Parts: sequence; structure tokens; C-alpha cells
Amino acid sequence: MEEKRIGVYVCWCGNNIALMVDVEAVSEEMKKLPNVVIAKNYKYMCSDPGQDLIINDIKEHNLNRIVVAACSPRIHELTFRKALENAGLNPYMFEMANIREQVSWVHTNREEATRKAKSLVVGAINKVSFHEPLDKRSVDIDPATLIIGGGISGISAALLIADSGNKVYLVEKTGKLGGHTANVDLTFPYLYSAQQMIDFKIKRLINHPNIELFLDTQIEEIFGYVGNFETTLKINTAEKVELKFGNIIVATGLKTFDPSGIEEYGYGKLPDVITSSEFEKMLLHGKVQTKEGKVPKNVVIIHCVGSRNKNYHEYCSRTCCMTALKYSNQLRSALPHSNIFQVYADMRAFGKGCEEFYTQSSRKDIMFLMFDQQNELPKIREAGKKDNCNLIVEINEKLSGEPIEVPADLVILMTSMEAHEEAKNIAHAVGISMCGNDFYIEKHPKLDPVATTTDGVYIVGTCQGPKDIPDSISQAEAAAARILAIILQGSVHVEVTTAFVNEEVCCGCQTCICVCPYTAISFDEEKNVSVVNEILCKGCGTCGSACPTGAIRCRHFTDKQILSQIEGLMSITLEEV
Amino acid sequence: MGEDEKNKKPKLKMAVYWGAACGGCCVSVLDVHEKLFDVVAAADLVFWPIALDFKYKDLKAMPDGYIDLTLYNGAIRNSENQHIAMLLRQKTKILVAYGSCAHMGGIPGLANFSTKEQIFDRIYCDTESTENPEKIKPQHIYKVPEGELELPIFYNDVMPLDQVVCVDYYLPGCPPQTERLLEVFMAIVNGSELPSKKTVIGAYEKSQCDECERKKTENKKIKKFYRPWEIEDDGETCFLEQGVICLGPATRGGCGTRCIKGNAPCRGCYGPPPDVSDPGAKMMSAIATMIDANDPEEIENIIEQIEDPAGTFYRFSLPGSILRRKVV
Ligand SMILES: Cc1cc2nc3c(=O)[nH]c(=O)nc-3n(C[C@H](O)[C@H](O)[C@H](O)COP(=O)(O)OP(=O)(O)OC[C@H]3O[C@@H](n4cnc5c(N)ncnc54)[C@H](O)[C@@H]3O)c2cc1C
Ligand code: SF4
Ligand code: SF4
Ligand code: SF4
Ligand code: SF4
Ligand code: SF4
Repeated sequence: MEEKRIGVYVCWCGNNIALMVDVEAVSEEMKKLPNVVIAKNYKYMCSDPGQDLIINDIKEHNLNRIVVAACSPRIHELTFRKALENAGLNPYMFEMANIREQVSWVHTNREEATRKAKSLVVGAINKVSFHEPLDKRSVDIDPATLIIGGGISGISAALLIADSGNKVYLVEKTGKLGGHTANVDLTFPYLYSAQQMIDFKIKRLINHPNIELFLDTQIEEIFGYVGNFETTLKINTAEKVELKFGNIIVATGLKTFDPSGIEEYGYGKLPDVITSSEFEKMLLHGKVQTKEGKVPKNVVIIHCVGSRNKNYHEYCSRTCCMTALKYSNQLRSALPHSNIFQVYADMRAFGKGCEEFYTQSSRKDIMFLMFDQQNELPKIREAGKKDNCNLIVEINEKLSGEPIEVPADLVILMTSMEAHEEAKNIAHAVGISMCGNDFYIEKHPKLDPVATTTDGVYIVGTCQGPKDIPDSISQAEAAAARILAIILQGSVHVEVTTAFVNEEVCCGCQTCICVCPYTAISFDEEKNVSVVNEILCKGCGTCGSACPTGAIRCRHFTDKQILSQIEGLMSITLEEV
Repeated sequence: MGEDEKNKKPKLKMAVYWGAACGGCCVSVLDVHEKLFDVVAAADLVFWPIALDFKYKDLKAMPDGYIDLTLYNGAIRNSENQHIAMLLRQKTKILVAYGSCAHMGGIPGLANFSTKEQIFDRIYCDTESTENPEKIKPQHIYKVPEGELELPIFYNDVMPLDQVVCVDYYLPGCPPQTERLLEVFMAIVNGSELPSKKTVIGAYEKSQCDECERKKTENKKIKKFYRPWEIEDDGETCFLEQGVICLGPATRGGCGTRCIKGNAPCRGCYGPPPDVSDPGAKMMSAIATMIDANDPEEIENIIEQIEDPAGTFYRFSLPGSILRRKVV
């Protein structure tokens, strides 16, 4: 075996590390270890001169393994791997010890901190001693895209991808396109017609040569991995269509909350208590009226129905406040002499043009009443004979502290957005996860908001969380752009730190199969061994810890590497005890 | 001397010795039955206290490297075990750790869950059948009118053979399957190429499940653990799938799945597969994935049902595992 020649570099991170850790002492100590050829410390290892230090030493001293003790590998592991590559070394012959987030930033005793830094670096040196070079792998990309869901999100993504000349398969479970946007009359805050916006897009979509549309269709199972997925669509139970595609966009949208469970509101029992969706229907038909066909004199709009309340959904549905203001505006124009009450919990008017919309709406002779959403919901009851209205809404008004009764002929409940009941079927079919509220989880909430942990699968629009039309379209087009970038590259890199099975040792116990969160492992009956599909495998390591024989090994995190790292971590402490 | 005699290979010189052992390993050597003639034809037994009348002084007198093959069975429990192990190492070309006790500590190794004091207190003072009001316990040196009596030092730790001397090969099993011993023996006699040093011989790379004829699937979901006598074993389904802990997956093959064939789960005497350093830990993490619950409290309740987990998962391997012993 080739002689191990390790270079160790301890970073000061300016004062960030050097103030709390004696970097000089750390690098000096490492010089004593076997196989360590060079140990240095430097002000900023991630800077160009810092990286050049490594590159030059690799060339000059024939180093074949590198350890950098600096910040978190999340920040600079890639930087240093690149440096190794530039020096002609395999980038995986590298290990990072985090002596900033895990040491200097969290400790106050310099001596102890220095000792802990030493332990971490010895651990890294031990681990890197057993590293093996790993090769980059890539797979070809099928340029077709499958889009699940034909709402505004799915439609927007489909048009962008199809316009670029690439094939799109759009699958919609109902018989019509447009989703909830097609059920909305005007949109906040500029009161544009939703119909006009969506009709134009639908027309373009239907006639698009690159888009194949499947209405009344549902996805059952999808096989494969990024670049090479496939599924069989069952249309009208008889016909079967086989599709192959390289990427998937999930745009299955939202479901509106059913308020019949909220006793205070009497929805379902009191005919003139309706949901926002039902009110949109009235608006679309151009007639705002009570069940009996009368023009309502008093209209009460109640916010946060099913949102921001532990008994229903804790989250905010983001669009209801503005939609409610939109209704005030529409009502004021349609019924100039009516009394309009906004019964709200907090007025949330974030977003472009929305605060202005609020100011402008509040000048239109609308009564704003606040209630305590956490502790006391308003109560709706039938009005008495003597009252000059259908219903009475009782509120403990929060700002005045007074209990008041509001007359109503029509009450609109601003129902929340929620995930579809069958969201988990799609999650299972495409291999993505859901959060506690059943919305799909993005790969990173800040840095990677439309991708998922399964390569090649993107989530857009309201299936990811409540949002309005422009946000849905932004996500849809962002995902389309991500996919087009991959199609342009023609291939993608896939994870290299994957698991693999040593067939000489695997006993066929199948313990590993159900633990894999990415269903990457299957069983080969003939050979009586398990097999990892290394393109599906994400290198999460679960199978490696479950396998009782040590047959499944996770590259870059083998038992040997980890045990020797632990040994290294403990060596400094043991020496002193 | 006739031509035949001259061409005959020189006979192998062989020794068998026991440290902290039960005697089963020595019996397994005797178990070669009629094959004993082949063994005797090929080898001279130069030291085997359980079966033949040799003395310590005979061993001491042998030149270094005189013995070709020594099967050392039993663990290292006291200074006598260690002393003879070191002497045998000096006198032997190929030293084999024979049986589970020599390999990883075996059943005597479970004593590492206690200290020397606890063991002496229990054995010499507290057992239900002991009458010892003066609490007399064995001493290393004891003075009598005739002079000084010396007993071996009882160590606090039980050790496998390779923690006191360099071992050439390991032949696992409690006791090893006699067929495996014969295969290894004949290979040495015939001068076949031996595997690289410090490896396990007389056992397979693959673990028990590979050979085991019970039906197994990926569906190992355990809601309740059973001791073997608590279920009506159907004789066909993998023990784990019936909720009975079987160490087969983390145990090398080679015994011919002899326990499983007798409708008892494997208890792990053949030791771990090649790359595993701690079979107990491996088996525990495998079992953890099989527990069929998501609620932490329910999981805890299910785990609680495992009778003597340390003894179950480390039955034959405690001193040779990463754990080695209970810290006191
Ligand atoms: C009453 C109301 C008023 C609103 N007013 C406004 C407004 O004024 N301004 C604004 O910006 N936003 C408004 N919104 C929000 C807006 O409707 C949404 O942001 C938008 O519709 C989200 O689009 P989407 O494509 O993500 O989801 P959706 O519109 O829900 O579309 C999802 C589509 O996917 C289909 N689908 C679902 N599951 C499957 C499956 N398994 N397989 C195949 N297809 C499936 C559905 O049938 C549907 O066609 C309002 C919402 C409501 C409820
Ligand atoms: S490492 Fe994780 S993703 Fe890869 S096969 Fe194992 S369990 Fe599955
Ligand atoms: S858990 Fe290990 S030994 Fe068992 S089937 Fe999977 S890879 Fe093979
Ligand atoms: S390995 Fe088993 S048979 Fe051999 S001495 Fe130990 S306990 Fe006895
Ligand atoms: S776990 Fe035991 S019973 Fe099940 S297949 Fe393996 S050896 Fe056989
Ligand atoms: S089945 Fe297991 S416990 Fe029984 S002899 Fe074989 S290895 Fe030992």
C-alpha cells in the first residue's frame, strides 16, 4: 500500500478561532503524529493564499491526504475538495475538523478549548488515514418532464418548459384545468380578473405541440431516479400509457378547510354562513344574495377560520386577510349601502401592494373588529324575531374590551388552505417527505426552496405551503428553470458517498431493505443478497448501521473510518487522564 | 529403514491446551472418532493434559518452535492461563485460538460484567449452599507451617487469547464443529496454502442466515419479544420474524446451523463476520430497526421485554468486543 502522507492545516479564521484556540499549539502537536508530514497554521485557510498553501505542499511534499481544521464542513468542505482536485488529488482524500462552530464559538476557557480542538483534529487525521479515492458519477437526463397537477402552478411550469422545446406530460386528476384559481373572481390587491389570466394560459397550453395533457388521471407509482423516471398511467381504467421522463414537478395544490367542525360558526346548520370559496362562486355569477334570494344588508367576514389556532391548523394561510379585503372592495361596489364588518384576529398585509390595499380599503366605510383567535372565537347564532337581520355575531371585541353583537345577513368564513388528504400517496409515489401539516418538505427551507431531497423531484405552489398566485407562479417557474438547466447539461452528478453491498459477506437477512428511506435497496433472490441502487442511494448511512454482518458499507463513512475517528477523539483525553 | 518410511513426511507435532474452559473444546477434539486414526497417523500429540500424561516440565524442556500446531482453548482468567499461553507461544509455530473462549472470551467472559471482588463474594460467601462464616477466600500466597503455598492470581478481567499473546489463527465455535477442525488439520498436514495470518479459519465469511433453511423476508417487524419456550415455533419461519432473538445474522456460518436445525435460535458462538469488531453492537442496531413502533414509550416497553440484553447480545464475545467489560 502507498505510504500515507498527511498534511494538516489549522485555520485562525482571523480572530474567530485564534482568540480561543492556541492554533500554534494544535499544529505543533499534530507534527508528532505518525504519517503527518506537514502541520501548519494560517490566518485564513479558505482564502486563495490559504488554498495555495495546500496545493503547493501537495505538489512539493507529495502529500496524499489533507486535514483542514477550520469552520463547519457545510461552509468550506467543497472549497477544500476543489483545492485538492486542483493539485491533482482525489477530492475525497480530505477531512475537515470543525474547530470554530464546535470549539471557539462555544467555549470560554482557552486551555480546554485548545485541548478539544486537538482531539477533533486527531480524530480527523485518523479518519482521513482510511479514506479511499471516490470517482464522480453521472447519469444522462431524459429531457421530458412530468407535471402532476393542472392548477396555475402546474400550468405555468408546463408552458415555460414546453416553450423551450422540451416535452411535458401534464397530469390532472379532475376533468378541468386551472385549479382554485379558476374558481376565483378578482384577485387582490389589484383586482385583476383571475379568469382572464388563467383562460389565456389554458388556451395556450391545450394547443401547445410539446404538451401532452392527461385529464381525469392519477399517478399510482413512479419508478427510477433523476434523469430516468417512468410510470404507467391508467386512463379510464381501460387504456394504459407508459411514460418516461427525467424530472418531476409536483403541483397538486391545496384543499380548502371544512369549517363544519367549528361549533361557534354553525356552518352547515345556518344557511347564510358560507365559505370564501362559496362566496367566490356568487361573485362569479354576479349575484350576492342570501339563501332566500334577498340582498344582504349586513355582511360579516370572519378571518382565520381553521388557521392560527391549535385546534385546527397552527399556521397562517397567508392569503385570507387580503382575500377578505378584496371582498370588502367588491361588496362596497356591488352593494353601496350595505354594512360590512371585517372580524379579524390580526391584519396581515405583507407583500407588494398589500399594505396600500389595506389603507385604501379601510377608507371605504368598513368596520374592523378584532377578536382573540387563541382563546375566544366569535359565536354566530340565529337572530331573534325582533332583530332586523338573519344572524347575530357575538364578539368579545379585543381593542375596546367590550362584548358586542353584530347584525348579519350573510357571514363569509375565510377558510384556511390545507394539504390534500391523499398528499401522502403522491409523496410515496415520488419519494418525498411531508411536514407535520402534510405539506411537502423542500430540500432546504432557505437555500433550496423548490427542490426536494429526492433528486429530480420539485415541489411548487400551494402543495408546499399556503401562498398566493404570484408566489405559486414564481416557484413554478423557478422549478422549470432548474429543470431546464439540468436538461441543458444533459447529465447530472449523483451522490458518490453511497452504500454498497459486499456480496461475499451479505447473508440475505434483508434487515437493510425496509430501513432505507429512499427505497434504494432490493433483494436479489437468485444470489440471495441485497443490492443497492447507487443512483437512488443518498448515502444517509441508515442501512450501514442496521446491517448485522457489515456487508453494507457506506463509502466515506465505513466502520473502520468512524471507529478510528472515535479512537482519535479520545486519545488526547486518555493521555491526560 | 525401508524406502516407504524414508519418503514419509515427518509427523506433525501437535499440542492441545485449556485455559479458562469447560472441557467441551477438548472433547470436540476427541470427537473426531474414527478419524482419530488419520490424526494420529499424521501427528504426534506432544502435550495434551486432559488426555495424555504430560507435565509442565516436559513443555518447558522443548526447544522454541518445537511444536508445529497448538490448539489453545479457553479464555485467560488467571496468571496460570497466561503463563502457559506465553510458554506455548514460544514453543509453537502455528498457535490457534480454538473455540469461542479463546477467540473472544466466550461464556467465561460474561464474568466481565462483574469484578473479581463480586465474584469471590458470591462464590465463597454468598451462594445459597455456602457455609463460610469466617469469609475465607483464596489468597495468591498462603503461609502454612510447611512453607508458602502459591495459587495463580485471579485477574479482574477475562481476556481472549490474543490479548496476551500473538495468535496466528482463530477457529471459533462453542465448541468448534469437529468437521471444521479436521478440514483445517488436514490442510496443515497436506501443506496446503494457509490463509493470511490473524484470520478466522474453519468458518465461513457469510453468516448463519445464508445457510439457514428457515423462510425469511424483509418483513422483520417485532411487537413483542419472546423467549424460545414462549412461542409455538412453526419450525419454518425465521426466528426473528417470530419475535425470538436469533444472533444468526451477526454470526459466521460454519457450524452447520446446528442450533437452528435443533429448533433453537443461534446464540452467536461462531463470532462475527469478517469486518465486524463488535457483534453485540451490530446485532443490537439490527434488532432496533425491527421494532414495530414509533412511539418512544412503546418502543421502550418492547425493548424492556428483552431478557438479559447484555448477556444475550454479548454471550460469547464480551472481552473481545469494543466494550470489553462493564466499567465499575
Ligand atoms: C377562495 C380563494 C380565494 C383566493 N383568492 C386569491 C387572490 O385573490 N389572489 C391570489 O393571489 N390568490 C388567491 N387565492 C390563492 C390561489 O387560489 C392559490 O394560490 C392558487 O390557486 C394555487 O395554485 P396551485 O396550482 O398551487 O394549486 P391549485 O389551484 O390547488 O391546483 C392544483 C391542481 O392539481 C390538481 N391535483 C391535485 N391532486 C392531484 C393529483 N393527485 N393528481 C393530479 N392532479 C392533482 C387539482 O385538481 C388542481 O387542478 C385564493 C384561494 C382561495 C381558496
Ligand atoms: S445509505 Fe441510506 S439511502 Fe443509501 S442505501 Fe443505505 S439506507 Fe438507503
Ligand atoms: S442487512 Fe446486510 S447482510 Fe442482511 S441482507 Fe442487508 S446487506 Fe445483506
Ligand atoms: S468454547 Fe465453549 S466448549 Fe470450548 S471451552 Fe469455551 S465454553 Fe467450553
Ligand atoms: S435470523 Fe436466525 S432463523 Fe432467521 S434466517 Fe437468520 S439464522 Fe435463520
Ligand atoms: S447456531 Fe449459532 S450458537 Fe449454535 S452452534 Fe451455530 S453459531 Fe453456535
